[in-house]
Amino acid sequence: MSYAVGDAIAPFVIPSVSADAMKDWAVFLADPNPIHLDVEVVKAKGLGDRVINQGPINVAYMMNMLMAAFPGGMIEAMDSRFLDNVYGGDKAVASGRITAVDGNRIDCEFSLDIEGRGTVNAGTATIRLNA
Amino acid sequence: MSEEAEFPPAPQVAGTSLDGTKIFTVSADENERLCRSVGVTPAADGTAHPVWYYVATQVAMGKTVAGVCETCEFDVEDGPMMGSSGVRFFRPIMVDQPYKVGGEILSLVRKKSRKLGVMDVLTYRLRLQPADGGEAILETDNVWVLPRKELA
Repeated sequence: MSYAVGDAIAPFVIPSVSADAMKDWAVFLADPNPIHLDVEVVKAKGLGDRVINQGPINVAYMMNMLMAAFPGGMIEAMDSRFLDNVYGGDKAVASGRITAVDGNRIDCEFSLDIEGRGTVNAGTATIRLNA
Repeated sequence: MSEEAEFPPAPQVAGTSLDGTKIFTVSADENERLCRSVGVTPAADGTAHPVWYYVATQVAMGKTVAGVCETCEFDVEDGPMMGSSGVRFFRPIMVDQPYKVGGEILSLVRKKSRKLGVMDVLTYRLRLQPADGGEAILETDNVWVLPRKELA
């Protein structure tokens, strides 16, 4: 498979961000922050009216896109910025494009966008092919 | 006079060790649950989902999230926010392999933003290493924003 600068990366789509997954992640992260679990706490803090996705779940969505785009490749480096919250029920789309090709290394830029609200995460990554 | 001189400096916490003592192992069952929770199937080659970099280092570092905040003289109930997360993988995370975490706080910088008011920007670095020693398999730098409502 060949890759070229400017190539779009096939999007990874999450049709509806899962509140149940947030409960699993509270266990994985050993962090029962109620803004991820209890909508009443989110409302009381003035943060919205739906539970808030844990940040690393959003990173996982973007990693899923990269892993699907480069089968057998390894993410060597990845940086992502958290720009806004992702809420339970949101439709999230991770997408990106290739910015450099150097031998078996591919540089990409990517974002995570929420339908109706825009970009909530953005970043860059380097993938090593045939790791 | 600069704006920064209007408020007291951030606590001096750079260099604080975050070395952990816990052993962290991703079981195949946990990896499957995590993969399913983010909409993918687990890899068949024994590698764990790479996002375990964040989970493993947070869970097995030497302080809890609340403890890191306390070190920075910040109440976790005031709502720390993730600013960014970076990771450099040298090798994949493997299922059923025991790991330990080393790391340190790199900086805590007090700033004023139009959106958040006075805030401290915390940067810390963590490394995931085989529990029995050897080179780190990954290194991650996380940046958190700690809003200082009391100084706004």
